[in-house]
Amino acid sequence: MTEGPATDNPVQYISHHLQPLQVGSGFWQINVDTIFFSVLIASIVMFISYRVGQRIQAGAPSGMQNVLETLIDFVNDLVKEAFPKPNKIVGPLGLTIFLWVFLMNAMDLIPVDLLPKAADMMGIHYLKVVPTTDPHTTFAMSLMIFILCIYYNIKIKGGFGYFKSFLVHPFGIWLAPINFILTMVEELAKPLSLALRLFGNMFTGELVFLLIALLPWYIIPLPGSLWAIFHILVITLQAFIFMVLTIMYVSLASEESH
Amino acid sequence: MNVTATLFGQMLTFIVFVWFIKAYLWEPLTKAMEDRSNKIAEGLAAAEQGQQKIEQAKIEFTTRIDEAKTKASTIIGDAEQKSKLIVEEARNTAKDEAAKIAKSSAQQLEQEINAAREKLKADVAELSLVCAERVLESEIDKKKHNKIIDEVINSD
Repeated sequence: MTEGPATDNPVQYISHHLQPLQVGSGFWQINVDTIFFSVLIASIVMFISYRVGQRIQAGAPSGMQNVLETLIDFVNDLVKEAFPKPNKIVGPLGLTIFLWVFLMNAMDLIPVDLLPKAADMMGIHYLKVVPTTDPHTTFAMSLMIFILCIYYNIKIKGGFGYFKSFLVHPFGIWLAPINFILTMVEELAKPLSLALRLFGNMFTGELVFLLIALLPWYIIPLPGSLWAIFHILVITLQAFIFMVLTIMYVSLASEESH
Repeated sequence: MNVTATLFGQMLTFIVFVWFIKAYLWEPLTKAMEDRSNKIAEGLAAAEQGQQKIEQAKIEFTTRIDEAKTKASTIIGDAEQKSKLIVEEARNTAKDEAAKIAKSSAQQLEQEINAAREKLKADVAELSLVCAERVLESEIDKKKHNKIIDEVINSD
């Protein structure tokens, strides 16, 4: 792509950066960059996990195993707080979410022009490097969690029990229609808010980086580094929030009563 | 956002990712961690037990020592008493023996004295007989005597 300095046409610069690399259209629209980076990150994590899992040092762990053990302990504590009964899925689910979201968010910290420029030189003209700025990613996760919640609801309460919970909450059986609407909204709001929170945070974060990049080069370092430092907090916090809410939702879904 | 293949692709990635982490990281690692904490707990329990055993052994040790000491002192006392007894007995037997020996030797002495006396008596008799013979021999007149003897013989 041939263009002058970014500041010549800020709108074009920003919209260019926020345009994903797409193939196909309609249902078969595939955001290649999103899938590429998220799968790449997942593969790296899986590779490291596999290596650590294959050569577990039982006595005195070291290196990566220590890091992962700390994370597992951290997630396990949260799970044990939320779940009275042990649950086999939620622990790994929470850990995976935390690692994946954190690392995908962390792509944000790579200078905004670095990878797109590199790709540009190889003939790829659009590139969004942060998969979590694509709602497809965040909704994919939140919908899976939603499905898992429904599965647990039906498993624990039974199909009828789950349906009944829509009718009797929160005002009792006599206001069943209102209850139904309210519970429906409440249930649907969970995955929606989960996905949109992460997407919104990362998208605006990226946008701010782009705006900073539009500043004159001698001003960029100060707000750039400040925002990056602040963003380290944001990406960790967002990953943590996503994980905690997942654990909370699944634990609510697998509660006996209601 | 539309429902697109990207969404389903990401969902699939997510499922595979969670499954993989569960199978290859979470389960082996939590198991290892559990094993380790169990091992540590066992080790601590074993240490505690060992400490208790040491304590017990100490108590047993002191009681045994005390027992041994009292036993030793009783044995020594017994031995002393026994040795006294033995010495006493030995002394008594020795006394008895001495008395017996003294008695028998006195008897023997008496016997010997008697024998000597008897012998002396016999010797004196023989000696006097010899003396008498000598005296008689020197005094004898063969003719006269023969005449007496013949007379005795012939008188029958």
